[in-house]
Amino acid sequence: MSDPTEETQQHKEEEIDPQFEPVIKLTDQIQTKTFEEDEDVVFKMRAKLFRFEASTTEWKERGTGELRLLQHKEHKKIRLVMRRDKTLKVCANHSITPEMKLQPNIGSDRSWVYRCVADIAEGTPTAETLAVRFANSEHAEAFKVAFEDAQKTNSGLVSAEAHPATETSQENKQDGVDNTEENPKEEESKEETKEDEAE
Amino acid sequence: MSEQPIPTFKLVLVGDGGTGKTTFVKRHLTGEFEKKYIATLGVEVHPLTFTTNFGTICFNVWDTAGQEKFGGLRDGYYIQGQCGIIMFDVTSRITYKNVPNWHRDLERVCETIPIVLCGNKVDVKERKVKTSQVTFHRKKVLQYFEISAKSNYNFEKPFLWLARKLVGNAQLEFVAAPALAPPEIHVDPALMKQYEDELNQAASAPLPEEDEDI
Repeated sequence: MSDPTEETQQHKEEEIDPQFEPVIKLTDQIQTKTFEEDEDVVFKMRAKLFRFEASTTEWKERGTGELRLLQHKEHKKIRLVMRRDKTLKVCANHSITPEMKLQPNIGSDRSWVYRCVADIAEGTPTAETLAVRFANSEHAEAFKVAFEDAQKTNSGLVSAEAHPATETSQENKQDGVDNTEENPKEEESKEETKEDEAE
Repeated sequence: MSEQPIPTFKLVLVGDGGTGKTTFVKRHLTGEFEKKYIATLGVEVHPLTFTTNFGTICFNVWDTAGQEKFGGLRDGYYIQGQCGIIMFDVTSRITYKNVPNWHRDLERVCETIPIVLCGNKVDVKERKVKTSQVTFHRKKVLQYFEISAKSNYNFEKPFLWLARKLVGNAQLEFVAAPALAPPEIHVDPALMKQYEDELNQAASAPLPEEDEDI
């Protein structure tokens, strides 16, 4: 964003730099696991995300930033992850399932409304009605194509998985090396129990 | 995850009523931008965590009432404050004039803690307090940021600056927070019908329109 005050502001930042005794001295860099390490970005676009508050029939903003569709390198499943600008906090994180349907929002040609049964942006899974708005209708259309492709990919994986769980979990163990405990698995049952402690 | 407890700091957020303290905190908590003004009574405490290249840190933000009549304990809220934000509204001169009072109160209880002065609402065209008129921070060694909780301009800067001071590391940056694999839940058709109703309601509720940069 261009802002006329920016220059003066930066100038000032250099001017004063008061020193304080740190409350706690942190000197070691820490590599925080994003859990996106084994995924490829198949789509990304800047967007603004909203959640619908049914009790007041109001849209509440959740964040502005890069919306991405991430495909797992091994099991090929695609999820949607969005982070807020600057703080990089997660504002959307959910699976893309076949029953989801993108609907237009009244009076907007650059937004989609959809229902999601288990979004974990805020830790525990919650069912949400979300809206995503893009810069223009072309971007919105590109997202729709990518989202629906992801649905096809994911549903193809589900039907192919006649005998789920056992095989894939073993594969994961071999690759996970030392941190199998933290490695998110694709089986739903494990996921649910782990959600709380991991945050 | 890690054995270490998360470094947590008490942050005292003060300033006149209506300058946008609660809106600023909510913006960080949920992403929402609350337009309605509901005066804070006493104090509301919210933990705000950030993922940094030096690990996760947490501010316990004490969002205090700006309005005199809703002030409650005042000094009691400041006790053991480890950092502070003083907020004023650049569209209201009186809120800037009161900054020295807020600073005096804070300093009396907390002594020398890192404090950021925030001039909020810089997205508004008709400013009453110009950047050049803001001089208080120079005398008192505060850091000054112009911010907009509405446009998100500089909205991360106050926390970033405080974090760097509190942990004594100017190299601290915010990094991507963990995004665990989401569960895949399949819903039964009856529930789906109920969802559809809400979806239709949502689709016909217009999104807040604004001139924005996406």
